[in-house]
Order: sequence, then C-alpha cells, then structure tokens
Amino acid sequence: MSYLFNTPEDLQQMLEAIGVGSIDDLFACIPPSLRLDRPLQLPPAMGELELSRHMSALAASNRCAEDTICFLGGGSYDHFIPAVVDALASRGEFYTSYTPYQPEVSQGNLQAMFEYQTMVCQLTGMDVSNASLYDGGSAAVEAVLMCLSATRRDGNVVVPASVHPEYRQILETYLINLGTQLVTVPTDDGVVDPDALAAVVNDRTACVLIQHPNFFGCLEQVEAVGRIAHDAGALLVQAFDPISLGLLKRPGDLGADIAIAEGQSLGNPMIFGGPYLGIMACRDQFVRRLPGRIAGQTTDRRGRRCWVLTLQTREQHIRRDKATSNICTNQGLIAVRAAIYLSVLGPQGLRQTAEQCLQKARYAMQQIAASQRFEAAFAAPTFKEFVVRDTEDRVTQLLRDSCQHGILAGVPLGRWYPQWQDAFLVTVTEKRTRSEIDALAKVLADGGRAV
Amino acid sequence: MRNQTSMRLIFELSRSGRGSTVLPPLDVPEQHVQDLLPPDSLADAPPPLPEVAEPDVVRHFTNLSTLNMAVDTHYYPLGSCTMKYNPKRNERLSSLPGFLHLHPYQDEETLQGLLQVLFELQQTLGEIAGLPAVTLQPAAGAHGELTALMIAAAYFRDLGQQRTKVLAPDSAHGTNPASARMAGFQTVTVKSTRAGFVDVDDLRAKLDDSVAVFMITNPNTLGLFDQQMSQIADWVHERGGLIYLDGANMNAILGIARPGDFGADMMHYNPHKTFSGPHGGGGPGAGPVCVRRHLGDYLPAPVVSRHGDRFTLEKLPPKSIGRVRSFFGNVGVLLRAYCYLCTHGPDGLRRVSENAVLNANYLLSRVKHFLPVPQGDRCMHEFVASASKLKKETGVTAMDLAKRLLDYGFHAPTVYFPLTVPEAVMVEPTETESKETLDAFAETLFRITGETAELLHEAPHSTLISRPDEVQAARKPVMRWTSE
Repeated sequence: MSYLFNTPEDLQQMLEAIGVGSIDDLFACIPPSLRLDRPLQLPPAMGELELSRHMSALAASNRCAEDTICFLGGGSYDHFIPAVVDALASRGEFYTSYTPYQPEVSQGNLQAMFEYQTMVCQLTGMDVSNASLYDGGSAAVEAVLMCLSATRRDGNVVVPASVHPEYRQILETYLINLGTQLVTVPTDDGVVDPDALAAVVNDRTACVLIQHPNFFGCLEQVEAVGRIAHDAGALLVQAFDPISLGLLKRPGDLGADIAIAEGQSLGNPMIFGGPYLGIMACRDQFVRRLPGRIAGQTTDRRGRRCWVLTLQTREQHIRRDKATSNICTNQGLIAVRAAIYLSVLGPQGLRQTAEQCLQKARYAMQQIAASQRFEAAFAAPTFKEFVVRDTEDRVTQLLRDSCQHGILAGVPLGRWYPQWQDAFLVTVTEKRTRSEIDALAKVLADGGRAV
Repeated sequence: MRNQTSMRLIFELSRSGRGSTVLPPLDVPEQHVQDLLPPDSLADAPPPLPEVAEPDVVRHFTNLSTLNMAVDTHYYPLGSCTMKYNPKRNERLSSLPGFLHLHPYQDEETLQGLLQVLFELQQTLGEIAGLPAVTLQPAAGAHGELTALMIAAAYFRDLGQQRTKVLAPDSAHGTNPASARMAGFQTVTVKSTRAGFVDVDDLRAKLDDSVAVFMITNPNTLGLFDQQMSQIADWVHERGGLIYLDGANMNAILGIARPGDFGADMMHYNPHKTFSGPHGGGGPGAGPVCVRRHLGDYLPAPVVSRHGDRFTLEKLPPKSIGRVRSFFGNVGVLLRAYCYLCTHGPDGLRRVSENAVLNANYLLSRVKHFLPVPQGDRCMHEFVASASKLKKETGVTAMDLAKRLLDYGFHAPTVYFPLTVPEAVMVEPTETESKETLDAFAETLFRITGETAELLHEAPHSTLISRPDEVQAARKPVMRWTSE
C-alpha cells in the first residue's frame, strides 16, 4: 500500500466532490453479474524486506554466468558491460519517462535516439536507422515484411538454414498468415552454397535473409548472395553481429538493402533473453517503409536545432491498418544503453573487442580440437563462435557434466538440427581468459569428468 | 546554470585519437587476423564511431537525461499510458546477479528459481484475467495483440473455417487495426454511439460468419465500462467468433472484474503500465497474453510448466503458432511485474484500481466545470475532456493546453486520442498521486483556460526549446548526424 496517497480524510473529501457515497458507487457502471464476487486467489502481500528475501533466495537458486564460466552464445552473449552504461541508464529521467510525444520536455530522449540512429548507421554503413525494435528476431521479420511491400512480391522468402533457427521459426509464424512461402536452403557445410541458393530464388522472391557471421559463427559469402538476390529483383537482408563489425566489412559495404541485428551485445545483460534490442537500418529508398519510431532533426520557433519524432505517418497511431507495422512501444532504454556502450568503446574499443573475441575463440577451438574426441564441424572461417563435433556422440551428457564442474560449455545443436545431435556451439567473448578456456578444453577432453 | 555543451551531439565532442581502453591485454597467443579470416571479409578501418573520453560520455548523457520530464520528476497524466510510480525495489530485485546473468540456453536445472518466478507470474496473470492459459513471450502490448490474432487465425484454420475479418471500434488504439492486418485479416471499423459505447446496431450489421475476432478495449479508451459487454460477447460467440480484450486499461478493474468472466476469450496485459514497469523512454515493455483453456494449445512456446516441485520449459506443442520472439521474452520487465504483484496481493491490487478510479473521478469532478467531458459525469481510471468549445470560442486548441501545461511543470495529457472526440484531452491520473497534486493540476488547467490565445499558441515559453517544426522534419527528414 506504500505507493498510495489517499488518507481517510482525502477519501471523504474526494467522494463528496464527486457526489457519491462510497468507492463502490464508482463501480456501479459494471453490472454486478460481470463483477468478481470473491477476492483474487493470490498469495498475500509482501513487504519490501520479505520480498527482498524471497527474490534473493530465488535468484540464488539459479546458476548464472557470474558463478560459472559461460561459453554459451547463439544470439545472447556474455560481453563485458562498462560501469558507465548502468550508471547512466539507471537515471530516473531516462527510465521513468515515456515515448517523447511532447518534444519540448523530451529532448534528452530524442537526442539520445538521434545519436543511437547515427551510431547504427556508422556501424552498419547503411543510410538510415529506426529508433529500435523488440529484438533481433522481430527485426528479422519486420525486415522481411518491408521487403514484401517494397518489391510487391509475396511468393516466397529465401533463408539459409544457417540463419538463427528462432528467427526462422518467427518468420514461419508470421508468414503462414500472409500466404508467403518460407524457403529454407540447407547449409550442410555450415555456410550456404550460393549456387544452391540461386536455384530457389525466382521472380516471386521478395528477399533473401542471410546472417553473417551466421548461427554457427561462420562467415557467409554475402556479396555473392546479394548479387543473386538483386539479379532476380529481390532484396538482400543481412543479420549481423554488432561486435563483429569491429573487424568485418559492414552490411552497407556488402550490398545489403536492410541490415538487422540483435543488439543485446551492446551493453546489455543476458537476463534470460530480454529485454534486448532489435536493430534495423536500411537504404534511403526504403525509409518510408521503416517500422517503428524515428527521431529527426528540425528547428524550433526561434530557429534552434532540436529533435522530434518524425515520419509518423508511417505509424499505427496515424495510419491504423495501413501502417508499416503495428509497433508502438519499442526498446528505448536499451537503445540508449547501446548508444552509451558504443560511445565508451569508440572505434578502437570496438575493434579491440572484436579482435579479442576472434583470437580467443580461435585459441579455444584449437585447444578443444587437440583432443581426439572433438573436431571442428565446419571448414568455413569463424568469428567468435564455432561448432564442435563430438565423435563419441554424447553431447547431452558431456554438457551436463561440464555444468556440474561450473562450465557452461556450449549450446547443443540437436534441438534445431536433428542431423547434428553430435554437435554443439561454443562461444568465446572477450571476457573469457586463457585459463578459463584451458579449463573448458580440459573438462571436455576429460569427458566432463574433471577440471 | 545549464551546461551549454549539453545540447551538442556526442559526435561534435569527438576528437580523433581520444577514447578509453576497455580491455586487458590479450592473454592467448596472438595470430595474424589476416590468417584467421579471409582478407576480403575485413574492413579497412573500424566503424567511424565517436571518439570521446569516459568523462565526456558521463557528462553528456547525464545532461541529456535532465532534458526529460519523467515520472520520477513530474506529474505525468498521459492518458492510456498509466504513468504510475515505478517502485525502486523492483529495479533492484529484477537486477540481482542470479537473474541478470542467466543465458537463455542454460539447462533448466540451473534455472529453477527463475522458472518458478515465471510460472507463478503465468498463474497470477491468468487468475487476474480469468483466462487460465498464459504466454509471457510477446515483447509489448501491440505484440501481444498480434500474437492473440495469430492464435485466432490458427484456431480457425484448424476448424476449417475461412474467417477473414477483424472488427474493432472506431475508438480503438491504432495498434488494433495494424495488428489485425499483420495477422492477415481485413479490419472493419465498428462505430461508437454518442455516449461512447459500441454501436450495437452497427456491430450486428457487420457481424457475420466471416468475422474471426471482435477486438474491444473495456474499460474503453474514453475511460468508460461498456455494460453491453456480455451481450456483445454472446452475439460474437453465437456467430462462432472470438472476443479479444485490449488490456491497456486493466488498471481500472484489478480484482473487481475479470475479462474472462465478462466475455473475453483472449487478452493482453501491458505490465509496463498496469504493473508499474518503467516505460524507459519508449520501452521496453512486455505483452503477456492470456486465453481460454481451449485456445491454450495454440500459445507460442516456450511456456513454463510445473511437474511436482520442478519447473520446465515446454517446447513447441503440436498446435502452437510457433514463436513470436527470440528466446523467452522481456524477462526483466516480467520480473518487475512479479515484484509488483507480490507487493500488493489480492487486497492491494483491488485498492490500486479503487484509488485509480477514485483519483480519476475526483479530477473529472474538478475539470468538467471548465473543460467539458462529453461522455458523462463518471469514468473509470481515465477520462477524455474536449477543448472543442474552447477552440470555437477562443481558437485555443487541445495542443495549446498541452503545451502550456509544460510551462507549469506538468507533463501533458494525451491529446487528439481517441479519434472519436474532437480536441480530445485524455487524462489518466493513476493511483500513485496525491489529492494535492490533482488539485494543483486542475487549478493550473483552469488558470490556463483563462489565459490569452496569443500566449497559448506560442506555449511552451519556459522549456529549453519552443515548439519544433514538425513539418520541416518530415518534409526533409534528417535522421542521422553527418560530418559536413
């Protein structure tokens, strides 16, 4: 009750002013037959101290990346988060405000959105960015929907199996209602074969969605795939890893029409999958098809530079069923965190982070493959994650035993790829040390039995 | 006293070569990058991000934050958004390391504490809704709407029924028709009566066997409870359709009435509104969806189940629509909602709604004398006044009132929504405000209605900037900074 204000005296004065005798009278508009005639069946209220004990006990019963050594990835990563990010993003003026409908008293958020959009453009080499979507998966599906409308084609969408399996599941969920076919191209070698992809792209294809580095950590031939898409009159959507762009060519330089990403890596904790950040940037020609909020620069009545939400005629509150998307609430605070993170890292910090991921991941792969039992599943070059094949085909037991020894060794692939029950995905971020990597290699070599 | 550099962009503070070293030296044998990755995959230089020192970053973003109005600093009666107090305890407890550093692909055995929270949250939301099957996956209210409509589409596909239409009232949130289209439906708008309720004649004229779902917000966007609800539900159900409840206004009826009891088959919550999750300058939110048991098989996965004292994540059941988001959902927002629900319990939740409705009716009783409220003397948790008369008499618009309120240190109400009320001023006081604040707001609004039109057209006068030129922003959009 600590958040309420009204005293018994307030209550009396307010009821009198309204002209009713009791609070119940205010609910007379709800017919008795539609009202709940019993208390909600919920546990009684907890005070702050009780709640703190309760939550602390629940949190402590989990095993997290702080009390284990985490080599899990697949779209959610244990990257280092500088203290600055939490210190600034936890300011109440950022996190207890809402969508900047009143620009005169929201310049802080609007400018931060504008800076975020600029950084996304710098990061991706694209022309324009929105102010965020829910997560990488929803960004993927929104990008595909943009392509359907931009190309006026709704026949099919082509996706290699090396794109995040959950992104493909989301696409399936959405596309079934729109009558568009999702064509999946096998990636037996860990990357898509451009010739195999070319065989299924046709004049009814709206776009090709490629992930680079892909779900297995492998580098794809994005430019070749882009040429195939463009030759058929389709668009190219590239899902990217923001950290990888400290080293790799940018989506804009590889020919992507729309670039999307899971932005969690940019200063956000893993927190079991969310809130995360859907990054989306595109070429100028598609700007009026972009979903979500966009901050734009303008001037006020005295000619001072300022920022507003712009191109709102794309959005649901204006266009209703003709809007580019239904999105309203986005991930504003997470976008601010990403902007703070990228500001702290700068170009050199991003490069350094990317290089350490690459170097450490490669070292880890070499250490793991030193054991006869394991081999790299694919020959293609990889960035910060890679797939390991267990020649003894006992992945489930191996990972469970490793966990017993405090090492979250990898993500089993069998749950999405039945043909690869013997494989798991290992991720190494800049946070992992040589001794942690050596411990991983040892626990795997010992079959999960000892560190 | 304001720091004059605070309005500069961070890119304008950048100096080549400035910046901070973040990482310790590499501790594994270094190999040539060109030997590890194909040279043609590598960029010549890293992205041209700003190069600033850490103190720069701190001062810059701290100063930016002070340019916002927020719930922590100001009264924020933004209708339909439920800008209630965001408890600090929820921030702390949702950020405990044992939650914050969980990877979404960890083994269930390492996640039992978290899964217990999520399971209990599913149960609690189901009980408050009167709709027992729950998914926590959608990332926002609109995402929840879309999820529910996709569930409806899958359900009717299963029944072998071709239903192509979704009905929604003209007073509905814009997300309703936009979500319907994304789920492959055609939206048909149902009129409202002058009193602000669903025009049942229009509804019945448009209701046929091609209608999959009727979307209704109840209490509606005028802050009124539509008493025709169960009759409407009967008509829709007789034609085989489903009722979807937009749960944006749940703050009015917690523990008082349950959507499942008054006819809804599916609904979403906005935990960032009703359950005090902070709005984050535009997000993150969450959009859990509750449905009747027979629709539960269609929920997106994963859903948390309990087997004895163990909690598990159920993978895709055969009828599930699949996934609507990667990983589990906006867990951080859900943890805050859980803390809020634990803090209140059954009596506390009821008192939340009672006080939200009391505050709204009190403010209505004060405002209606100088700013007409077309739809009556009573409301639920919010009301919609109209500046229509004022505009006719003086030329002062709802926008002018909104802008002038900023001068007096109040965030503006929602204006020009719902579309059915001309010059709409939509006020949602919430329960976490005092009578003194409501009095001060009403007095200020009254005072403003007596100010000159010239003064109001130019408002706000005391904010950092005056009204921005939105036409210019849209005509020649500048959506990023570029070095000249």
